[in-house]
Amino acid sequence: MYRREVKAVSKIKYFVQQSWLLIVSSFCFGLLLAIANAAWSPRIEQNRINKLNDLAGRLIPKAKDFVPLEKLGVVIEVTSLKGDKKKVDVYKAMAGEECFGWTINAVGPGFQDKIELIIAVDKDFKTIAGFDVLASNESPGTGDKIKEKDFRKQFENKIAAKLELIKSGKAKDNKILAISGATISSESVVKIINHYIKEVREEMQKKGLLGNGK
Amino acid sequence: MANNSDTTAGIYKVTLLAGLWRENPVFRLLLGMCPTLAVTAAVKPALTMGLSVIFVLVCSNIVVSLMRNLLKPHLRILMFTLTIATFVTIADLFLRAFQPVMSETLGPYVPLIIVNCIIICRAEACASKNTLVVSIIDAVGMGVGFTLTLCVLASIRELLSTGMIFEAKVMPDWFVPWAAMSMPVGAFITLGLLLGLVNKLTKGKS
Repeated sequence: MYRREVKAVSKIKYFVQQSWLLIVSSFCFGLLLAIANAAWSPRIEQNRINKLNDLAGRLIPKAKDFVPLEKLGVVIEVTSLKGDKKKVDVYKAMAGEECFGWTINAVGPGFQDKIELIIAVDKDFKTIAGFDVLASNESPGTGDKIKEKDFRKQFENKIAAKLELIKSGKAKDNKILAISGATISSESVVKIINHYIKEVREEMQKKGLLGNGK
Repeated sequence: MANNSDTTAGIYKVTLLAGLWRENPVFRLLLGMCPTLAVTAAVKPALTMGLSVIFVLVCSNIVVSLMRNLLKPHLRILMFTLTIATFVTIADLFLRAFQPVMSETLGPYVPLIIVNCIIICRAEACASKNTLVVSIIDAVGMGVGFTLTLCVLASIRELLSTGMIFEAKVMPDWFVPWAAMSMPVGAFITLGLLLGLVNKLTKGKS
């Protein structure tokens, strides 16, 4: 019994001898990271909010504030393009008491990586005010043209959730002309916008935040 | 005494200059190829990546050099990785807080500095065997060498793909940008040509 205890103590001693530097360093580095994170995380969060407000402000210029629905106690959950249920950030575009529209943060698969968009719609979810790209890694020179104004402008004032991609011709009615050499990226954007507007509209109608869409 | 001082100064000079040319991490050791190919489409992200690597390299070399006598041989790689990961996370947080646009442009390549071979190589080859001063000088030399290489590569690619350098127009109006230079193919071709040039220049000298 005594011998077994001595053996156990010497094992612990050996473990401490071998790993004390690793344990002490882990603690010190963890502390350093905690300090850096505590010092800079408010600024990082503010940068994120500024970027969202800046993009949303350009899409709905009349709005002064973008209030997250979560702040109003409403959580919007929709089926993502992958098929799983996902929480979506929806903002109410306000100026004083008046609502000028909504913005939705949407995400879906692109050609190289996922594409994150901010989509703006009017207050009744009937027409698209525009969209912008929050994050994407599409091919430079082709796919990344989804960020360019010429492509984005086509979406303005189109009927929400009924966009159709065409490879040639004129982008009239609800048609969107694909970027030459980047059909998959263009298709992804159209699919994300159609899907999220439809899903979010239905969810908001269920929650009584919108009319029945008629 | 004077002789000894000269020798020490000589060692410092040789260590500093090694990273710039003789042991340049990209052109001579072929280390750190991932950021070299991925973030050199323009000079700004390349410079930011270079400065981040200098910060991580200097900090990790300082820590490794200070603990070199306490390191257990079989745990040393674990210690190096832990040290490097800490400073990379700090650099990443700093960029996200103070350079958000650049942080987004660089994307996952800042956290990927953790697996950059240059840093772990200098920790193993230099910092774990040398004094603090030599380790710092080695880190600065290697870091500056890496940054300059990235900037040279990025200047060529940005100039040919957009006609600009540092977002300032350089090429005449008739110049047609080569979009391929901003794509991975442009990175491979430019790096290959530069490596060929460096090999030609150093042929028979090493």
